Amino acid sequence: MIQESQKDRSILVKFDHVGLSYDGVADILSDVDMVIRDGDFRFLTGPSGAGKTSLLKMIYLAQRPSTGAVTLFGENVNQMPREQLPLMRRRIGVVFQEFRLLEHLTAFENVALPMRVQGVNQNEYAQDVTELLTWVGLGDRIFALPETLSGGEKQRVALARALVAKPDLILADEPTGNVDPIMGERIMRLLVELNRLGTAVIVATHDLDLVRRMKKNILRLKGGRLTLHGPLKERTHKPAAGQDQGAAASRSAMGAG
Amino acid sequence: MGETMEKPLDGSALVPTKRRPLLPEAGAAGAPLITVIAVISFLACMSLAGFFLVRQAAQEWTSDLTGSITVQIISNSPADISRQTDAAAAILRTTSGVVSVKVYSLDERRKLLEPWLGQAEISDDLPVPGIIAVKVQKALRKDLSGLRSQLAEIAPGAVVDDHGVWNDSLAASARTGQILAFGIFLMIMLAAIAVIIYAARAGLAANKEIIDVLHLVGASDEFVAAEVQRRFFLLGLRGAVMGLALAILVLLFAGWALQGVEPSGYFLPAIRNQSGTLFWLIIVPLLMCTVAAFSAKRTVMRALAGRWSQ
Ligand SMILES: Nc1ncnc2c1ncn2[C@@H]1O[C@H](COP(=O)(O)OP(=O)(O)O)[C@@H](O)[C@H]1O
Ligand SMILES: [Mg+2]
Repeated sequence: MIQESQKDRSILVKFDHVGLSYDGVADILSDVDMVIRDGDFRFLTGPSGAGKTSLLKMIYLAQRPSTGAVTLFGENVNQMPREQLPLMRRRIGVVFQEFRLLEHLTAFENVALPMRVQGVNQNEYAQDVTELLTWVGLGDRIFALPETLSGGEKQRVALARALVAKPDLILADEPTGNVDPIMGERIMRLLVELNRLGTAVIVATHDLDLVRRMKKNILRLKGGRLTLHGPLKERTHKPAAGQDQGAAASRSAMGAG
Repeated sequence: MGETMEKPLDGSALVPTKRRPLLPEAGAAGAPLITVIAVISFLACMSLAGFFLVRQAAQEWTSDLTGSITVQIISNSPADISRQTDAAAAILRTTSGVVSVKVYSLDERRKLLEPWLGQAEISDDLPVPGIIAVKVQKALRKDLSGLRSQLAEIAPGAVVDDHGVWNDSLAASARTGQILAFGIFLMIMLAAIAVIIYAARAGLAANKEIIDVLHLVGASDEFVAAEVQRRFFLLGLRGAVMGLALAILVLLFAGWALQGVEPSGYFLPAIRNQSGTLFWLIIVPLLMCTVAAFSAKRTVMRALAGRWSQ
């Protein structure tokens, strides 16, 4: 167990010796133990291909673990019947790495989707959806189709969609990966603000500068294992611009470990 | 599914938003599918029309025949024939349940024989059987035994023909025709189900990304299936209405084209008077959209049930 002092807060996600292999031969993840509690803010780091997205997939129930147990909101999802999955997923908001907006629906309709699939009447969420879009700075793009939006705008529509159902846990997969630094900063501030309001947040990113600036606890993936569970230490010098992210990542991990 | 008005915070204009279907109208896949369903529905309408036409025609023949019997007087002597014919006619006229009695004259009887004997002079010595056409009420038609024994006493040469054989064979062929038409109708509906299942599966594959996203934001299989079901219901309804319209046009045209023709064919009366048949064809679109919705829903539920996650 990490963070003894936080034991009073309820556990949202728990991984017990979780392993994942897509083809049954090569392990993408092995022996991953972790706990995410109510109100936590975590960075999930590691170079590209380390398995960050794969780990998140097991949380949002798009992927079943090959070994070990994943517990979500107190329930083991390994044996969970299919009918129960939607109820679990409704408590998790996901900002997908590739946004995954529905191209034939407007920004409004995309954000409204989690409410609509729960059978909520449009009158009940129209106001929320509009306010959320305004909050992420898209008040004037409410009825735009995704194809007319920039990468940063799509990212924020995806963020609004992840928030609309007031989830207990937000998973953001590389939320700053497709946007310019200013927009990335803005999106991170929105996530921090959400966390301050009580929602647990996991941000997967390979951008270590970002992680360092935010001074939050991190989960570091390396070689398919979680190798670091604490805050990343300040580095004495910044890597030169354009330097390889993976190399920077492993150096900083060593420095921190 | 109604329209609501809502107010974007940045402006004062009210903007209507309509709840669009979550699965896009498959323009490319939709048009051929509607065509197939329209054609299938047209064929279903025609087979169903065939079923009702045969039924209607059979009813008309049998109702014609049940009201009539024929009494023949057979003997070797023409004089005997005419005596017995008169006696039999007299009895028939006083029998209760008999509506009318028509005694065929010798000339009329000879005319009836013409197709077999030709126009040649028929000798007066030739014993042409006597013929009495009798219209009777249904009750009498059902039990002719009393009449038969009465006639046998007075006119031993009398043979009562209730057209039973003719009637039975007509009924049998009508039944066969109906079974055949209905069988074809069922096969066509089976083809419709197969096409719907195929299209629903193809739709699942084509819309995989959308359906995955729906699941990931919390949609249940029932929700996804209901979306697909709604789409196929409308598709089935639209295609079937097109097929029905075409079938009605064809049947009306057939009725119009046969307007001036002598009513010698068995089916002609039915084709001309078909408002009842046309009414029943409403079954086809009702059945088609129900079958489409149900098959699509079942296909989706079964396809999704096997997946653990998406
Ligand atoms: N659906 C999949 N099937 C097979 N291999 C996969 C699949 N998804 C990811 N992988 C592999 O798993 C490894 C980790 O991928 P991913 O979880 O996307 O890493 P990250 O998000 O850290 O970049 C990569 O080598 C990738 O090729
Ligand atoms: Mg990734």
